[in-house]
Amino acid sequence: MSFVCSLPTLRRTILSGLLLLFAAGLVAPFFVPSALAADQLTIYSGRGERLIKPVLDAFTANTGIQIELLSSGTTELVNRLKAEGDRTSADLLITNDAGSLELARTAGLLRPLNMREVERAIPAQFRASDNAWVGLSGRFWILVYNRTMVKPDQVRSLLDLADPKWKDKIAIPNSGSEYLQAGVSVIRATYGDEKTRQFLQGLKTNADNQVYQKSSQIVDAVAKGQVALGIVNHYYVYRHLAAQPGAPIAVVMPDQQEGGMGAIMNVAGVGVIKSTKHLDSAKLLVEFLVAQAGQKLFADLDKEYPLHQDVKADPALVERKSFRAALVPLSKLAELREPTLTLIEQVGLR
Amino acid sequence: MSTIRQQLASPLQLVVLASAGIILLPLGYVTAQALSADPVVWGRLWATRIPELLFNTISLAASVAVITLVLGVSTAWLITRVEFPGRRLWEGAMVLPLAMPTYVLAYVYSFLLGFGGPVEHLWQLVAGPQARIFSPHSYLGATLVMALDTFPFVYLLSRSALLSMNVSFEEVARASGVSRLSTLWRVTLPLMRPSIAAGVALVILYVVSDFGAVSLLRYQTLTYAVFQQMTGRSDNTAASILSILLVGLALIFLITERWFRQRSRFYQTTGHYRAPQRHQYGWLGTVAVTGYLGLIVGAAFALPASLLVQWSLSPEAQATLDSRFFGFVWNSGILAASAATGGVLIGLPLAYLASRRPTMLNLGCLQAAYAGYVLPGPVAALAVLVLFTKLAPVFYGSVLILIVAYVIHFLPAGLQSLEPALQHISPNLEEVARTLGLGMRDTWRRVTLPLVRNGFVVAWVLMFLQTMKELPATLLLRPVGFDTLAIRVWMEASEEYYQLAAPSALLIVLLSLPALALLVSKDWRAA
Repeated sequence: MSFVCSLPTLRRTILSGLLLLFAAGLVAPFFVPSALAADQLTIYSGRGERLIKPVLDAFTANTGIQIELLSSGTTELVNRLKAEGDRTSADLLITNDAGSLELARTAGLLRPLNMREVERAIPAQFRASDNAWVGLSGRFWILVYNRTMVKPDQVRSLLDLADPKWKDKIAIPNSGSEYLQAGVSVIRATYGDEKTRQFLQGLKTNADNQVYQKSSQIVDAVAKGQVALGIVNHYYVYRHLAAQPGAPIAVVMPDQQEGGMGAIMNVAGVGVIKSTKHLDSAKLLVEFLVAQAGQKLFADLDKEYPLHQDVKADPALVERKSFRAALVPLSKLAELREPTLTLIEQVGLR
Repeated sequence: MSTIRQQLASPLQLVVLASAGIILLPLGYVTAQALSADPVVWGRLWATRIPELLFNTISLAASVAVITLVLGVSTAWLITRVEFPGRRLWEGAMVLPLAMPTYVLAYVYSFLLGFGGPVEHLWQLVAGPQARIFSPHSYLGATLVMALDTFPFVYLLSRSALLSMNVSFEEVARASGVSRLSTLWRVTLPLMRPSIAAGVALVILYVVSDFGAVSLLRYQTLTYAVFQQMTGRSDNTAASILSILLVGLALIFLITERWFRQRSRFYQTTGHYRAPQRHQYGWLGTVAVTGYLGLIVGAAFALPASLLVQWSLSPEAQATLDSRFFGFVWNSGILAASAATGGVLIGLPLAYLASRRPTMLNLGCLQAAYAGYVLPGPVAALAVLVLFTKLAPVFYGSVLILIVAYVIHFLPAGLQSLEPALQHISPNLEEVARTLGLGMRDTWRRVTLPLVRNGFVVAWVLMFLQTMKELPATLLLRPVGFDTLAIRVWMEASEEYYQLAAPSALLIVLLSLPALALLVSKDWRAA
């Protein structure tokens, strides 16, 4: 097992190759383009790359403006923007959660926008008061169930999942996911801390190690019959069904019963970074995303509920007018976040 | 002469002190942050997460240690003490699993053992349609993957212990009428004990700091929890508390490993040393041994590798091989090259001064450089992040911060081969060359350089490879547009897009193979 090469020439070639690489390593960091071309936008995105890249590609195809995309966790990116301050190379922040956008706004990271296109397209309850962030697409936290294992009238409310009869039969997202934090915040705001704590305790026991990083995995587990029920954002179910129409899964729009809190809604949204040097291009992107064409992409590709009133959701989805949404305003999600995290940690959710 | 050397030494001394400082400062900051944290946060973590995390981490480490012990020692014994056709081939094949990053093996196994996966289908043919196998996303799954990936450490150390052991001890035992099995138990194994212990401690160190496998298998360990705290919370206090617990745990095993490694040097190999006689096996024995070794190498390397090839050839995977893919290859390449070069440049003065002027200060600086061993990826990232936001926020979000994290993390791997290389050159050799009439430049070119060159090459290649495979620090610190191959594997695999993750994974494995050869011949401890 020896690697000593006997051919001197080959050895010399390898050595000089390595020497070249050594030198390349020395200079490489200085050749990284720090200032990007004028017609280029840098986007920090907390949404799954699969869900946002096609929309951004359509923008590039339309305008010729290139996009550098950094996909990562939403909270992580907000942390990063805070640390980078004015030096950040980001021009826009896209997230999967309104609470995180509101936190970024209160931290002074986002730039208020005065754009009539935005105000015309997106209803006021889906954007910040100063338009520092703008909701782009709506999603509901729903129950997905396996039709061979559960009857639709067996569950009505998210809170039913804490029932001991679902022990080892449910899958949930991990506690780092922003929409779980948002969902728990809404439950807390509606029912108070004590009832929420009991719910989380039951959820933790019933899910045991079926705690997933990605919603698509939860839908997969339900479709395969590994678990009977899961909590996910609605569009993961419809995306799964679009790819595999025969999958034995269906959706319960939860908490619609008399006196129930209504389905928990959140929005994915965008904000322009305060220090951006490409304001015009950034505005152009926001305009593209709120306009009918952009909204249609969210509806068709991602199966989300478009926020533009004139754009229809995918017909496979539950008709938006047929169910109630919970009454907690999106902008409140930010202030609810910290105590929610404390509660989640106390319960010891993963 | 000595005055010149002293003059040279003092700026070098500063460089060395600065390097050691840069390496230790981040750890210091994290420790300070953790210790100054509100006791309420400590209390909450103790009451909720810490017991579970400690239990999970330690029980995973323990079970992996036991399995690697059995696999590593038994394979090493078969390879060194038994003669059978193809033995030399197997001798090399046993280290192949080291070319598989844990996250690649983890994602292959979450497919193989997953719900409704191929293994379950096979099992249902035997045990009936309702039969289930254990989930890969569990303690058992994590144990299996980590054990298959790390047993070569124990194998390599046991193998070299068996090769350098004096067989006369065993022969005396046999001659005194002790049975073969009893000799193995009462003579051979006790003689191997320090090497085995060193190997197992190394395995544990590796398991404790692994992020890739446990994150894909959703098994909650301290390292994974640090990452989750960093990405899911808006302040890093809880992350730093978990980090210093993790560093403490890793330190225990690092010290254990070093202590046993030192003891493992005291073999009597001089005097009446003879190579051991290999026991010739008949066809039945050959079949059994080949089957056993084949099963291990098959599970740990051949099967996963062939799945990766098959997935890479699928149309879905082929469609991803566009210019974007080559961008990821390029990113991996320049990041790894920069980190390796940086590591050699920082490691060189540290190792040089420690071998030329072994004062307490210089030796201390060198030991400080080994801190990377106890800084798992997410902790290194957190440490560098905290340091840069406090001291030099200008560099936040730049390539530099990532490279610093790599260098801190992987410098020990490089130093392992830089140190002995520099110890080879003694000033006498250079002085002899000079008195024989060689000029300064010729002395350097014909005496010094050839002596240290191999050590440098090995150090550079090792750090290059480690960096290329690195996952958590890259995830946390990468600048815009710096997705690497490892990142792509992890992102696709964590959504169970097995085919899409395959080309990047396969490329990482293929690039690791030549370095593995280097590693096995020189310094494999660094993997």
